[in-house]
Amino acid sequence: MEINHSHLVLDACCILNFCASGHFIEILKSIPIEVVVTEVIREKELITLQRLKDKENTGAIQFEQAILQGLILVVDFESELEEEAFVNYAFELGDDGESATFAIAINRGWAVATDDKKAISFFQREAPNLEILSTLEIVKNWSEEANLTPTELRTTLKNIRTTGKYLPPRNHPLLVWWEEFNIGYENA
Amino acid sequence: MITNILDNIDLRKLGDLLQQARKKCSMTQADAAKVIDAARTTIVAIEKGERRLKPNELIRLARAYGRAVSDFVQPSPVIEPFEVQFRAAYQRSEQEEVEISPIIQRLENLCRNYLELERIMKAPLPRNYPQEYEVTNMPIEVAAESIAIAERQRLGLGDGPIPLLRDMLEQSVGLRIFYIEMPSKYSGFYSYDEQLGGCIAINASHPEERRHWSLAHEYLHFLAHRRKPVVDYEEKYQRKPDSDRLGDTFPNYFLMPTSGLLKRFNDMYQAQGNFTTTNLFTLAHYYGVSISALINRLEGIKLLPSGTGDRLLDRGLKVRKVQQELGLKEIPQRTDLVPIHYQHLAIEAFDQGLITEGRFADFLSVDRLEARRIAEVLREHSSEMIEENVHLDLRQA
Repeated sequence: MEINHSHLVLDACCILNFCASGHFIEILKSIPIEVVVTEVIREKELITLQRLKDKENTGAIQFEQAILQGLILVVDFESELEEEAFVNYAFELGDDGESATFAIAINRGWAVATDDKKAISFFQREAPNLEILSTLEIVKNWSEEANLTPTELRTTLKNIRTTGKYLPPRNHPLLVWWEEFNIGYENA
Repeated sequence: MITNILDNIDLRKLGDLLQQARKKCSMTQADAAKVIDAARTTIVAIEKGERRLKPNELIRLARAYGRAVSDFVQPSPVIEPFEVQFRAAYQRSEQEEVEISPIIQRLENLCRNYLELERIMKAPLPRNYPQEYEVTNMPIEVAAESIAIAERQRLGLGDGPIPLLRDMLEQSVGLRIFYIEMPSKYSGFYSYDEQLGGCIAINASHPEERRHWSLAHEYLHFLAHRRKPVVDYEEKYQRKPDSDRLGDTFPNYFLMPTSGLLKRFNDMYQAQGNFTTTNLFTLAHYYGVSISALINRLEGIKLLPSGTGDRLLDRGLKVRKVQQELGLKEIPQRTDLVPIHYQHLAIEAFDQGLITEGRFADFLSVDRLEARRIAEVLREHSSEMIEENVHLDLRQA
């Protein structure tokens, strides 16, 4: 996985999926550039993550550990331009989380990790050069780097499917890979 | 993309929303002024819509008020504030104000969301509204029964029970029905305006028989006093006005029509030569009403002697215990906060990429994880429609 930017901004849907996988920290470590989340996402999604439990701890604890370990940097708006873009996107999307993520990424020239269909289509028009990665791209990259066995990978994807309630859209470029590990629509 | 939305936004509306949000979290104008390092007069001007906000000021105020920035800038349908409608309808005490205001606000927000979803999906809620029934100077019982019969006929309901009353009123009539948690003494809220049509909030924490009854009661408000907003709660009046007595009487006939009730009572009576407590419970369950409602109704048409209910209570009848002993299953019910049509509009908007996941969760008033769970359930019901089929006109296929 090659990312041509210095930072990757994680959106709420990806954070939720990574926490659900049971390997949040390992996945973060596999990302070759600095990982950030916006203050808006951190504040809003902590409550959701508290409900996300695996065998050991809640998603919120994993998330906070990642921040403490410096694996995730929390960022907020730093310029009028970012604030103005954020308010404009909030007007267009009605979603503060997506708006903050993209306002910061676009203004600082960073990449974004999201699975959100509406946000992706909107920002592909708004910022055609923006690099957008998905949950599955990042998980696939980690699984290859970590040399996961098929069983380990299957368990991870199943966690994302059942705990995170995530299902890739039918036109996702990695749908075949996802289904190879028996996480298809019928077998989840 | 507009250069700066705050240069073009309706400042008066934004000021109103900011004022409401500030008051909701009990902050003074002076407190709010400190948040943006300004004088109190600046907040006064902002709330009056006389001063433009900078993005940074809006972000700081939204955070201080515990709200999303999109709550203030997102274009949403303009509707007449419910608070105004309800305030004009009746006086309330300070205590009631504290209880009622959040419910009214919730109902208004949900109705606004519903309109917003209809706009996004270009799918207005179909209405099948009858003319308002004229009841002036009519005896209560006669009016209640005649409206109930006419409505059953209009909606093709026959004379049997209406087990899925909520779904029927949402889908066959086109009412907007929400189940909202409220303090126990409140049973329902009713409101109407031309844009939204009939809107009802039912107390979600009441048992199903009570909700069923309240829904029929609120429906009568729509049928006979359409433009009068109502808050229904216990001990509302020393002496009830006719409109409310009619609302209390109508469910008797609408939920338990005389012809059907007579037939079922007689069938039971003929089969065993008597009518027992077991029969009473089975029949109440069949109609989805409480034991006391059924007893009152049977007493009213002289099928049971008056005072039957009191005698059963004197003998120590425990309703819930008997229901369990008889193995009566829970009455089928849908207790979701929002109507089924609303849910389907939301999932279609989400699946078509017209709204974000966060917005989808906001529409359903749940967090992102719960929103995903609900999305799965809704997709199961819509057989996971594939994208290219979503817009297919099946009549042209």
